[in-house]
Amino acid sequence: MGKIRVLIAKPGLDGHDRGALVIAQALRDHGMEVIYTGLRQSPVQIAQAAIQEDVDVIGLSSLSGAHRTLFPKVVEVLKEKNADDIPVVAGGVIPSEDIPYLMEKGINKIFTSGSSTEDLAKYIEQLVQPNKQQIEEPKKIAHIGIAVHSIDQVLPFYTDKLGLELENVETVESEGAKIAFLKIGESRIELLEPTVDSSPIKKFLTKRGEGVHHIALEVDDIEERLHQLKRDGIQLINDEPKDGAHNSQIAFIHPKASHGVLFELCQPSPKEDE
Amino acid sequence: MSESHGNMEKKWLDSVEATTERFPERKDKFRTSSDLEVERLYYPTNDSEYEEKLGYPGEYPYTRGIQPTMYRSRFWTMRQYAGFGSAKETNKRFRYLLEQGQTGLSVAFDLPTQIGYDSDDVMSEGEVGKVGVAIDSLKDMEQLLDGIPLDKVSTSMTINAPASVLLCMYIAVGEKQGVPLEKLTGTIQNDILKEYIARGTYIFPPKPSMRLITNIFEYCQQNVPKFNTISISGYHIREAGSTAVQEAAFTIANGMAYVDAAIESGLDVDTFAPRLAFFFNAHNNFFEEVAKFRAARRVWAKIMKERYQAKNPKSWKLRFHTQTGGSTLTAQQPDNNVVRVTLQALAAVMGGTQSLHTNSRDEALSLPTEESARIALRTQQIIANESGVADTVDPLGGSYYVEELTDQVEAGIEEYLKQIEEIGGAVQAVEEGFMQREIHHEAYETQKAIEKQEEIIVGLNKYQLDEEVNPDLLKVDEQLEKSQIESVLKLREERDQEVVNKSLEAIRSAAQDENTNLIPFILDAVKSYATVGEICNVLREEFGEYTG
Repeated sequence: MGKIRVLIAKPGLDGHDRGALVIAQALRDHGMEVIYTGLRQSPVQIAQAAIQEDVDVIGLSSLSGAHRTLFPKVVEVLKEKNADDIPVVAGGVIPSEDIPYLMEKGINKIFTSGSSTEDLAKYIEQLVQPNKQQIEEPKKIAHIGIAVHSIDQVLPFYTDKLGLELENVETVESEGAKIAFLKIGESRIELLEPTVDSSPIKKFLTKRGEGVHHIALEVDDIEERLHQLKRDGIQLINDEPKDGAHNSQIAFIHPKASHGVLFELCQPSPKEDE
Repeated sequence: MSESHGNMEKKWLDSVEATTERFPERKDKFRTSSDLEVERLYYPTNDSEYEEKLGYPGEYPYTRGIQPTMYRSRFWTMRQYAGFGSAKETNKRFRYLLEQGQTGLSVAFDLPTQIGYDSDDVMSEGEVGKVGVAIDSLKDMEQLLDGIPLDKVSTSMTINAPASVLLCMYIAVGEKQGVPLEKLTGTIQNDILKEYIARGTYIFPPKPSMRLITNIFEYCQQNVPKFNTISISGYHIREAGSTAVQEAAFTIANGMAYVDAAIESGLDVDTFAPRLAFFFNAHNNFFEEVAKFRAARRVWAKIMKERYQAKNPKSWKLRFHTQTGGSTLTAQQPDNNVVRVTLQALAAVMGGTQSLHTNSRDEALSLPTEESARIALRTQQIIANESGVADTVDPLGGSYYVEELTDQVEAGIEEYLKQIEEIGGAVQAVEEGFMQREIHHEAYETQKAIEKQEEIIVGLNKYQLDEEVNPDLLKVDEQLEKSQIESVLKLREERDQEVVNKSLEAIRSAAQDENTNLIPFILDAVKSYATVGEICNVLREEFGEYTG
């Protein structure tokens, strides 16, 4: 795809354009094409310019306190002109208590004083790159993995005492583990028992004993998502998806990157969906 | 050329005597906590290089200050910029500040007023009363200054493109209070060049704008002689991202453009130059800021004396207001800003400022609350009354570092002045975008340095808190815009429309003749309750609009 096109605009009468100019320059340095409207633009002028210039995103800047009136107005005019597919981000001197109001009025994100241009550029890239837009947010917790010494020993607690329904038991070679799934709502509890000494589950048990091992998030398009995480500098245990239980594709994010929690990304097999 | 040693010292001592007769020093003797006596001034004896290069305070070239005794007689004027919402609300804040010991007023106008739109203009939507007070007509101005004696309080008005209109309103209120015009004191900012460069509240193109400015010079010199007719401002240039050297250089270049324009319109330099005032910023690099103020004074004095051949020493003196740096404040951990403001205010005082505005800690978030504004004023009062820095003149004078920095800043200013002269002067340089480009380049470099942590901002890119506390912020009543619109509509019904129309047409024909001074015509229109927007619209039709 071509360069991302951004319209940087100053709505209202505010003349402080240091921020707008710095951001325009920073986005250009990130390889985007930036059009700056100049000062004193009405919401209608801004929307028109955005449509004419066929931009991917609009950035608004105001330091005069008129943001509550003028930012939502830009979104409104875009709607009237059937151009509300153009996302609007904004910045300036914006009290934090105004942010929920602006988001509610359709502003995608507010960058206040002290935000880094790096973060802004990344946000815009993610916001507008269509191959990324196809990736939807994780839909649910696929399962919670719990490491145990022996499934046979703990199973009665789950089935008899908690009253959960055992779905199936299988061995997953890639993990060196025997796995039991218990259904709970739209999610599952996964009991993991190591079958070989080299199993990561075995290591976990030796180090920490029985307990919660990981949380699995159900995702679409696991491969693309892994690429994206990698690009963003998130440390992964598995760079490529591997086979998991139920013919799913799985991969783990390194707990260092996710603040101490081991996350599994899990894409169910198409059959499983039904 | 230079006078012999004893002579210059004696000249200073004589002026000390004359000054202290009018403004006695605050104490008979100044002492430290250990009871050591603090002298008025510390200086080398029999040093001709010192006398020529630095000079005595109150003596050319004013490196060490423009008054012979500086703050030993009177502190700087503590002047907090304030204004928000309606004239009535702002009037209340003004009275509060005066009660708290503030010694001068400083009016912030909202953006519609600053750009010459009435509150009911479509362009004003969302902006009425936000960054300052909304003034549509003389009626609002009467309310703004209600109960404030204009013969005792000096008022600074941050107004540029429509400065003539607001000045006329001020004069009209003074007349109603029975204050003779020659007793009115204060300042209008009236500095259009920096609006094109950095601040953005321009209306007309440069040429007619420069005419309005020289019209004001002439009118005030004849009628309102104690009013500062312009405040040539580096403040906004610095806020837009310039360095300290650029701030001083571009401001002085703009100042020269105003002097050129006034001389060209036939005014004698010594008739208007004593009423030129300056307005600088104070950022965090403490010694560089002090050096900047000292260097700026020296450069301006030389220019006025040598280049423009001004004879009156008052024309040589660079008098300035300082405001602490808004762009140095962080939204993160806002209480830290009190410390930044203290350092910056101290630099302004060590640099010899004539008046000072200290910013409030919450200004990166919104307009200041009353509590924040009070702490800001208290900061100045603590520096003045408790620190002892005001007890001797130019306490940093003679420091190897500060003197060297002063020389270097001076050289940097002169280098820029040369470049701007080669371009054809400040007006030409502005039109070509020279200053704008230089400033923008610096602003971008600063941002990059902060993001790379080459420049550390406490609380922003180092020593952050995981969770920020949200302070209470000032909110401007959203209903204000409506009620301000209603009151301007009501005014238009109540006033004598025929008189208004006549006065507006008189402005139009005066505008068409370049040699006519517009101010008396604007004053008539203001008195007929014509609005800021109506007057500016007539001038827009005649002069055209600047579009950036």
